Amino acid sequence: MKADNKNKQQKGTEHPLSILANKAYEIFSEMGFEIALGPELETEWYNFDVLNVPKDHPARDMQDTFWIKDRPGFVLRTHCTSVSAREIEKAGKEGRLPCAFISVGKIFRNEATDFSHEMQFHQIDGAMVGENISLANLKGVLTQFFKKMLGENTDIEFRPSFFPFTEPSIEVFAKFKGKWLEMGGSGVIHPTVLRNFGLDPEKVQGFAFGLGFDRIAMVKWGIPDVRLFYQGDLRLNQF
Amino acid sequence: MKISYNWLKWYIPDAPDAEKLAYIITYHVAEVETVEKREDGDNIFDIKILPNRAHDLLSHQGIARELASLLDIKYVDPTPKYKIPESKPTNLKIEIITSKDRRHVGRIVRNIKVGSSPEWVVKHLESIGQRSINNIVDATNLVMFNCGQPTHAFDLSKVSGPKLIIKDASRGQKIILLTGEEKELSESMIVITDEAGNPLDTGIKGGKHAEITNSTTDIILEADNFDPVFARKTGQILNIFTDARKRFENDLSPELAPYAMQELSALILEMCPGAIFENIVDTYPQRQEERKFSFSTDMISRILGLNVSVEEIENILKRYNFEYKNDGGEFKIIVPSMRLDLVGEEDMAEEIGRIIGYDRIKPIIPKINFKLKINETYAKIVWVRNKLLNDGYSEVMTYTFCNKGEIEVEKSASDKKFLRTNLSDGLKESLKLNKINVSLLNLGEVKIFEIGTVFKKGSEEMHIAYGDKKEIKEITLDEYTKLARAETQVKNSGAFALGDMGQGTHDALNSLLESPQKFKMWSLFPFIVRDVAVWVPKDVSSENVLKIIKENMGNMVIRDPELFDEFKKNTKISYAFRLVFQSNDRTLTDQEINEIMAKITNKIKENDGWQVR
Repeated sequence: MKADNKNKQQKGTEHPLSILANKAYEIFSEMGFEIALGPELETEWYNFDVLNVPKDHPARDMQDTFWIKDRPGFVLRTHCTSVSAREIEKAGKEGRLPCAFISVGKIFRNEATDFSHEMQFHQIDGAMVGENISLANLKGVLTQFFKKMLGENTDIEFRPSFFPFTEPSIEVFAKFKGKWLEMGGSGVIHPTVLRNFGLDPEKVQGFAFGLGFDRIAMVKWGIPDVRLFYQGDLRLNQF
Repeated sequence: MKISYNWLKWYIPDAPDAEKLAYIITYHVAEVETVEKREDGDNIFDIKILPNRAHDLLSHQGIARELASLLDIKYVDPTPKYKIPESKPTNLKIEIITSKDRRHVGRIVRNIKVGSSPEWVVKHLESIGQRSINNIVDATNLVMFNCGQPTHAFDLSKVSGPKLIIKDASRGQKIILLTGEEKELSESMIVITDEAGNPLDTGIKGGKHAEITNSTTDIILEADNFDPVFARKTGQILNIFTDARKRFENDLSPELAPYAMQELSALILEMCPGAIFENIVDTYPQRQEERKFSFSTDMISRILGLNVSVEEIENILKRYNFEYKNDGGEFKIIVPSMRLDLVGEEDMAEEIGRIIGYDRIKPIIPKINFKLKINETYAKIVWVRNKLLNDGYSEVMTYTFCNKGEIEVEKSASDKKFLRTNLSDGLKESLKLNKINVSLLNLGEVKIFEIGTVFKKGSEEMHIAYGDKKEIKEITLDEYTKLARAETQVKNSGAFALGDMGQGTHDALNSLLESPQKFKMWSLFPFIVRDVAVWVPKDVSSENVLKIIKENMGNMVIRDPELFDEFKKNTKISYAFRLVFQSNDRTLTDQEINEIMAKITNKIKENDGWQVR
């Protein structure tokens, strides 16, 4: 006879990023966000052009992009803002405004890997569009998210940044255990981007953000190396 | 960009101390990544200038001007100190036959003496990581780091005559750069030549032909304003990453060029007091247009979600040298020529927001009644994941990149250039890895799954793969849910509901929040597994045995000994425990583990009627 009860199937362990994604979706759903998913192999249009990132502009260097061989116009998405873009455009066409979307997804950057850099990792992207949506609303939503994610004592702060698709553009920092940590980019959606979505910036405004999701997990649990997430090693599943 | 604090102080003598200034820059302008304290007392900031301000902040004067306005402190304009040298009539001719050069400011200077630079110039350049070359080249570099405008000097004696032609390059045209490297140009590029057609410059990197040498006495100075797309493309194609390219590709204001020439002239006069300056030749085919637009205080407040007062905005416009009209909170402005980033009212919202500080904005959760739609794909993923977890499978994520596939990426930093066409290959590797470690895992056997995207020609698909020691199965998410739904419906009429995460998941999430857990990194050294089985009288509990094992096993057993077997025979009972030894900093030897096991065995034997099997 084995010491364990053989009849009862022992439950498997879940990947930390899945646990955290469920949690994130729950927090954002409570604030009215709709879960959205989109393609990982994305068109240049949704990854860059629609987001006001022009060709031949230094802003394209901000993200090391994987281009697809023999398929011009396609990239591995460098952020899930492309998912927000697709969904807002669709919601506008279907007359479903105001709207808000949240997406946790795998993204890709063509860079050398180390403990804090990986060629594939996850980002949580969200956007809200409606009448008079402001930077204060962005701060409200992100404050709520980080408090629920990292604990009630967590503070966030905004620092100046630049992204072609937002104006003002903001770098989001969260204070965890006394230290300010960079969490990702955000801002008020640029009027040009709203027009690209087929919306009238005089009538609706919005915000968008994209945060490093692996990073949140690393901060939350003290996971020292981003590469641990993708090695298929079950010793990672400790939660 | 490296910025010297002492250099900044030339222009903003009233600036706060370096530490405070770094903080202010980070919160109102751009991130100061590092502050390096130098032995000579200077502090060097490494500032991550953002792309929208690279046209006016990649220089000491640019940063100083920004800070003077931000902090409302004095900006010392150096222009009056640039004694304009007495200047003579010139034969210099400039011909621009390309749309890519928007302005060319040129000047001939004779009777210069090439030599080493004054000490302060060397020090300035070194403080920001630049090497001194000779006084003339240093002067051109210093001007760039000081005011942001790239400038260049040619040896006049090597130019066929006092004429420069700036034109589109022809395909296959060759130029030898200052580095000695030969580059082949194409029609998308420009070339600066003399009348004889000698290629002198590519715009973003000078050529060898008219290089300044120690014997140079007469020079042509130039400050151009190139089209940003041209500068970027040329740099990309020719693989040139100069400071000049970086500035041009960020779209400099053409208004900067004559100022830079003035500064360069004054600097050369200081270095070569005997220099004879000829008149400046300013060719300006594409004038920068004055930019006007209006914005309202209400709109700024609405974008920021913060009530900003008319006075506050007016004060900012004054400090930042805007020409403006205030019509009851509606502002009509003329943008300063250096501020090419300000195009519309949203830009002013950012400008005002960052200047007053984003800490002023208070968090407000919008109260909107959204009409939510369930995401079916995600609901399926959650359902499948929970089902597999309940069936004893553990979740892994593996790499999207692999050695073979149907879709390939260009120029990867890694040797794995293909996107996976299945999850099974990755899962196979993961199974192998986890089987080796099975003693370290609190799992009876290794069963794993992955939910992820695979890439086939023409499409990407969401797949499920799950496997154990026998086999790996892989199927699309849609197929899996279809089959599983049919199976579940048979079992308990339709428990499968989209979007239903189940109360169990809910509770798990809440406990996740309440108990802050800490990740425990595993050791990278090999582990050793040992079993010990003991016969004891049947009234002795396994805890009694465990206690002795734990007291004597040392500190290298990585999890509680596992009781993996027990059975009774007559008056006795047998308990079998498994111990896994592993160190965080070295490879353990069999011998030392044998010693520990011997110690445990001896301690057990000391008990009456206890017997190690």
